[in-house]
Amino acid sequence: MNLRLLTALFLAFGLLLTADLSVAQTAGYSQTSTDQVILTRWALQHIMARHWPDSTATGAGKFQAGITEASLRDMINEAVHSGRARHNTHGRPGTIYEYDFQRQIGTTIDGGPATRLRVVVSNRNEVITAFPF
Amino acid sequence: MHLDYRLNEDRETDWSSVTEEDLRYRVALGNLVFHVGDKDFSADWGWIPLVDLAASFAEIVRKLEGGSASETFEFTESDAWVRFERKGEKVLVSTSYGDGVGEIALQSASQAVKSFCERLRSDLVSKHPQAAHNAAVGRLLGAA
Repeated sequence: MNLRLLTALFLAFGLLLTADLSVAQTAGYSQTSTDQVILTRWALQHIMARHWPDSTATGAGKFQAGITEASLRDMINEAVHSGRARHNTHGRPGTIYEYDFQRQIGTTIDGGPATRLRVVVSNRNEVITAFPF
Repeated sequence: MHLDYRLNEDRETDWSSVTEEDLRYRVALGNLVFHVGDKDFSADWGWIPLVDLAASFAEIVRKLEGGSASETFEFTESDAWVRFERKGEKVLVSTSYGDGVGEIALQSASQAVKSFCERLRSDLVSKHPQAAHNAAVGRLLGAA
Protein backbone atom coordinates (compact mmCIF):
# COMPACT_ATOMS: atom_id res chain seq x y z
CA MET A 1 0.00 0.00 0.00
CA ASN A 2 2.80 2.38 1.01
CA LEU A 3 4.69 1.43 -2.10
CA ARG A 4 1.65 2.30 -4.28
CA LEU A 5 1.28 5.65 -2.55
CA LEU A 6 4.97 6.36 -3.01
CA THR A 7 4.75 5.44 -6.71
CA ALA A 8 1.70 7.68 -7.19
CA LEU A 9 3.44 10.59 -5.48
CA PHE A 10 6.55 10.02 -7.57
CA LEU A 11 4.49 9.99 -10.80
CA ALA A 12 2.57 13.11 -9.78
CA PHE A 13 5.82 14.91 -8.99
CA GLY A 14 7.22 13.80 -12.36
CA LEU A 15 4.18 15.16 -14.19
CA LEU A 16 4.43 18.46 -12.37
CA LEU A 17 8.10 18.71 -13.24
CA THR A 18 7.41 17.92 -16.90
CA ALA A 19 4.62 20.50 -17.02
CA ASP A 20 6.91 23.16 -15.56
CA LEU A 21 9.61 22.37 -18.10
CA SER A 22 7.12 22.55 -21.00
CA VAL A 23 5.98 25.99 -19.96
CA ALA A 24 9.56 27.13 -19.65
CA GLN A 25 10.42 25.78 -23.07
CA THR A 26 7.33 27.32 -24.62
CA ALA A 27 8.06 30.65 -23.03
CA GLY A 28 11.68 30.47 -24.14
CA TYR A 29 10.72 29.62 -27.73
CA SER A 30 8.11 32.34 -27.75
CA GLN A 31 10.67 34.87 -26.61
CA THR A 32 13.10 33.74 -29.27
CA SER A 33 10.50 33.79 -32.04
CA THR A 34 9.54 37.40 -31.33
CA ASP A 35 13.19 38.44 -31.47
CA GLN A 36 14.00 36.61 -34.68
CA VAL A 37 12.22 36.83 -37.97
CA ILE A 38 11.82 33.97 -40.38
CA LEU A 39 13.49 34.09 -43.77
CA THR A 40 11.67 31.56 -45.95
CA ARG A 41 13.07 30.06 -49.14
CA TRP A 42 10.47 32.05 -51.10
CA ALA A 43 11.53 35.32 -49.50
CA LEU A 44 15.19 34.57 -50.11
CA GLN A 45 14.47 33.90 -53.79
CA HIS A 46 12.44 37.12 -53.96
CA ILE A 47 15.33 39.12 -52.47
CA MET A 48 17.93 37.45 -54.68
CA ALA A 49 15.89 38.09 -57.83
CA ARG A 50 15.69 41.82 -57.18
CA HIS A 51 18.54 42.79 -54.92
CA TRP A 52 21.43 40.34 -55.34
CA PRO A 53 24.59 41.84 -56.86
CA ASP A 54 24.00 40.03 -60.16
CA SER A 55 20.29 40.88 -60.36
CA THR A 56 19.29 42.72 -63.51
CA ALA A 57 16.22 44.30 -61.89
CA THR A 58 16.22 48.05 -62.41
CA GLY A 59 15.10 50.65 -59.90
CA ALA A 60 16.00 48.47 -56.94
CA GLY A 61 18.90 48.67 -54.47
CA LYS A 62 21.54 45.95 -54.71
CA PHE A 63 23.59 44.17 -52.07
CA GLN A 64 27.34 44.36 -52.29
CA ALA A 65 29.28 41.59 -54.05
CA GLY A 66 30.15 38.81 -51.63
CA ILE A 67 26.78 38.77 -49.89
CA THR A 68 25.75 35.29 -48.76
CA GLU A 69 22.55 33.83 -47.38
CA ALA A 70 24.18 33.74 -43.94
CA SER A 71 25.36 37.35 -44.03
CA LEU A 72 21.93 38.43 -45.28
CA ARG A 73 20.32 36.66 -42.33
CA ASP A 74 22.74 38.38 -39.96
CA MET A 75 22.00 41.81 -41.43
CA ILE A 76 18.26 41.22 -41.32
CA ASN A 77 18.42 40.15 -37.68
CA GLU A 78 20.55 43.17 -36.76
CA ALA A 79 18.15 45.51 -38.54
CA VAL A 80 15.14 43.97 -36.79
CA HIS A 81 16.87 44.03 -33.39
CA SER A 82 18.41 47.49 -33.58
CA GLY A 83 16.61 49.34 -36.36
CA ARG A 84 13.76 51.81 -36.34
CA ALA A 85 10.38 50.11 -36.69
CA ARG A 86 7.25 51.57 -38.22
CA HIS A 87 3.95 50.31 -39.51
CA ASN A 88 3.83 49.34 -43.15
CA THR A 89 2.17 52.00 -45.28
CA HIS A 90 -1.29 52.51 -46.80
CA GLY A 91 -2.88 49.29 -45.66
CA ARG A 92 0.03 47.02 -46.47
CA PRO A 93 0.32 44.34 -43.81
CA GLY A 94 3.35 44.07 -41.55
CA THR A 95 6.17 46.17 -40.17
CA ILE A 96 9.08 48.02 -41.76
CA TYR A 97 12.48 48.02 -40.05
CA GLU A 98 15.27 50.36 -41.16
CA TYR A 99 18.82 50.28 -39.91
CA ASP A 100 21.97 52.22 -40.84
CA PHE A 101 25.02 49.95 -40.72
CA GLN A 102 27.36 52.98 -40.99
CA ARG A 103 29.24 51.13 -43.74
CA GLN A 104 28.46 50.35 -47.32
CA ILE A 105 26.25 47.28 -47.70
CA GLY A 106 25.27 47.80 -51.31
CA THR A 107 24.16 50.37 -53.85
CA THR A 108 21.12 52.61 -54.15
CA ILE A 109 18.84 52.71 -57.19
CA ASP A 110 21.07 55.47 -58.55
CA GLY A 111 24.18 53.32 -58.13
CA GLY A 112 25.51 55.30 -55.16
CA PRO A 113 26.70 53.71 -51.92
CA ALA A 114 23.94 52.37 -49.67
CA THR A 115 24.53 52.00 -45.94
CA ARG A 116 20.97 51.34 -44.81
CA LEU A 117 18.80 48.22 -44.93
CA ARG A 118 15.01 48.17 -45.10
CA VAL A 119 13.33 44.93 -44.02
CA VAL A 120 9.60 44.33 -44.43
CA VAL A 121 8.24 41.70 -42.04
CA SER A 122 4.75 40.19 -42.22
CA ASN A 123 2.36 39.83 -39.31
CA ARG A 124 3.44 36.17 -39.20
CA ASN A 125 6.97 37.33 -38.44
CA GLU A 126 8.19 36.29 -41.90
CA VAL A 127 10.47 38.47 -44.00
CA ILE A 128 8.67 39.70 -47.13
CA THR A 129 11.55 41.62 -48.65
CA ALA A 130 14.81 43.31 -47.69
CA PHE A 131 16.98 45.71 -49.65
CA PRO A 132 19.77 48.27 -49.26
CA PHE A 133 19.09 51.95 -49.76
CA MET B 1 -3.22 63.17 -65.22
CA HIS B 2 -2.55 60.03 -67.19
CA LEU B 3 -2.34 56.96 -64.97
CA ASP B 4 -1.81 53.63 -66.65
CA TYR B 5 0.21 50.42 -66.42
CA ARG B 6 1.95 47.71 -68.38
CA LEU B 7 1.26 44.32 -66.87
CA ASN B 8 3.94 41.63 -67.16
CA GLU B 9 2.91 38.32 -68.66
CA ASP B 10 2.24 35.75 -65.94
CA ARG B 11 1.39 32.11 -66.59
CA GLU B 12 2.51 30.72 -63.26
CA THR B 13 0.30 32.33 -60.64
CA ASP B 14 -2.61 30.34 -59.24
CA TRP B 15 -5.14 33.14 -58.92
CA SER B 16 -7.53 31.10 -56.84
CA SER B 17 -5.08 31.09 -53.94
CA VAL B 18 -3.45 34.51 -54.29
CA THR B 19 -3.30 36.35 -50.94
CA GLU B 20 -3.22 40.04 -50.15
CA GLU B 21 0.47 39.73 -49.34
CA ASP B 22 1.05 38.21 -52.79
CA LEU B 23 -0.80 41.11 -54.40
CA ARG B 24 1.11 43.63 -52.33
CA TYR B 25 4.55 42.24 -53.19
CA ARG B 26 4.75 39.32 -55.60
CA VAL B 27 2.12 39.11 -58.34
CA ALA B 28 0.57 41.30 -61.03
CA LEU B 29 3.91 42.99 -61.55
CA GLY B 30 4.68 45.53 -64.23
CA ASN B 31 5.43 49.15 -65.09
CA LEU B 32 3.76 52.38 -64.04
CA VAL B 33 2.78 54.95 -66.68
CA PHE B 34 2.22 58.22 -64.84
CA HIS B 35 2.05 61.71 -66.31
CA VAL B 36 0.90 64.76 -64.36
CA GLY B 37 0.63 67.72 -66.70
CA ASP B 38 3.92 67.82 -68.59
CA LYS B 39 5.77 65.87 -65.89
CA ASP B 40 6.57 62.23 -66.53
CA PHE B 41 6.75 60.16 -63.34
CA SER B 42 6.56 56.80 -65.08
CA ALA B 43 8.57 53.91 -63.66
CA ASP B 44 9.53 51.07 -66.00
CA TRP B 45 11.20 48.84 -63.43
CA GLY B 46 9.09 45.80 -64.27
CA TRP B 47 8.64 44.68 -60.66
CA ILE B 48 6.02 47.14 -59.44
CA PRO B 49 3.09 45.27 -57.82
CA LEU B 50 0.28 47.02 -59.67
CA VAL B 51 -2.62 45.91 -57.47
CA ASP B 52 -0.76 47.24 -54.45
CA LEU B 53 -0.09 50.51 -56.24
CA ALA B 54 -3.74 50.84 -57.26
CA ALA B 55 -5.00 50.13 -53.74
CA SER B 56 -2.43 52.46 -52.18
CA PHE B 57 -3.20 55.31 -54.58
CA ALA B 58 -6.92 54.83 -53.88
CA GLU B 59 -6.29 55.07 -50.15
CA ILE B 60 -4.09 58.14 -50.63
CA VAL B 61 -6.83 59.89 -52.60
CA ARG B 62 -9.39 58.99 -49.90
CA LYS B 63 -7.11 60.49 -47.24
CA LEU B 64 -6.53 63.67 -49.25
CA GLU B 65 -10.27 64.00 -49.78
CA GLY B 66 -10.68 63.48 -46.05
CA GLY B 67 -8.48 66.47 -45.30
CA SER B 68 -4.95 65.09 -45.17
CA ALA B 69 -2.36 67.66 -46.27
CA SER B 70 0.23 65.22 -47.59
CA GLU B 71 0.52 61.52 -48.37
CA THR B 72 3.49 59.54 -49.64
CA PHE B 73 3.48 56.31 -51.61
CA GLU B 74 6.56 54.15 -51.06
CA PHE B 75 7.52 51.59 -53.66
CA THR B 76 7.87 48.08 -52.32
CA GLU B 77 11.40 47.25 -53.45
CA SER B 78 13.23 50.56 -53.17
CA ASP B 79 13.21 53.79 -51.22
CA ALA B 80 11.65 55.58 -54.20
CA TRP B 81 8.44 57.46 -53.42
CA VAL B 82 5.61 59.51 -54.89
CA ARG B 83 4.36 62.43 -52.79
CA PHE B 84 0.90 63.98 -53.02
CA GLU B 85 0.41 67.37 -51.37
CA ARG B 86 -3.01 68.93 -51.21
CA LYS B 87 -3.27 72.66 -51.89
CA GLY B 88 -6.94 73.56 -51.69
CA GLU B 89 -8.68 71.67 -54.47
CA LYS B 90 -5.37 70.98 -56.24
CA VAL B 91 -2.83 68.24 -55.63
CA LEU B 92 0.89 68.71 -56.19
CA VAL B 93 2.70 65.54 -57.22
CA SER B 94 6.44 64.97 -56.89
CA THR B 95 8.68 61.92 -56.83
CA SER B 96 12.12 60.91 -55.62
CA TYR B 97 13.08 59.66 -59.10
CA GLY B 98 11.70 62.34 -61.44
CA ASP B 99 12.22 66.05 -61.84
CA GLY B 100 9.67 68.74 -61.17
CA VAL B 101 6.26 69.01 -59.59
CA GLY B 102 3.01 68.21 -61.37
CA GLU B 103 -0.33 69.73 -60.51
CA ILE B 104 -3.79 68.28 -60.86
CA ALA B 105 -7.28 68.87 -59.50
CA LEU B 106 -8.09 66.52 -56.62
CA GLN B 107 -11.28 65.43 -58.35
CA SER B 108 -9.36 64.54 -61.51
CA ALA B 109 -6.83 62.56 -59.50
CA SER B 110 -9.67 60.69 -57.82
CA GLN B 111 -11.25 59.83 -61.18
CA ALA B 112 -7.92 58.74 -62.66
CA VAL B 113 -7.22 56.42 -59.73
CA LYS B 114 -10.73 54.96 -59.82
CA SER B 115 -10.39 54.32 -63.55
CA PHE B 116 -6.96 52.74 -62.99
CA CYS B 117 -8.39 50.33 -60.41
CA GLU B 118 -11.32 49.38 -62.66
CA ARG B 119 -9.16 48.82 -65.75
CA LEU B 120 -6.62 46.78 -63.81
CA ARG B 121 -9.31 44.59 -62.27
CA SER B 122 -10.97 44.05 -65.64
CA ASP B 123 -7.63 43.25 -67.27
CA LEU B 124 -6.67 40.76 -64.56
CA VAL B 125 -10.04 39.01 -64.66
CA SER B 126 -9.86 38.84 -68.45
CA LYS B 127 -6.41 37.26 -68.35
CA HIS B 128 -6.96 35.19 -65.20
CA PRO B 129 -10.68 34.37 -64.76
CA GLN B 130 -10.08 32.96 -61.26
CA ALA B 131 -9.11 36.45 -60.12
CA ALA B 132 -12.80 37.38 -60.31
CA HIS B 133 -13.50 35.09 -57.36
CA ASN B 134 -10.45 36.03 -55.32
CA ALA B 135 -11.44 37.86 -52.15
CA ALA B 136 -8.14 39.77 -51.91
CA VAL B 137 -8.50 41.09 -55.44
CA GLY B 138 -12.04 42.25 -54.66
CA ARG B 139 -10.93 43.86 -51.40
CA LEU B 140 -8.01 45.77 -52.93
CA LEU B 141 -9.48 46.74 -56.29
CA GLY B 142 -13.15 46.79 -55.42
CA ALA B 143 -15.81 44.37 -56.60
CA ALA B 144 -16.99 44.57 -60.21
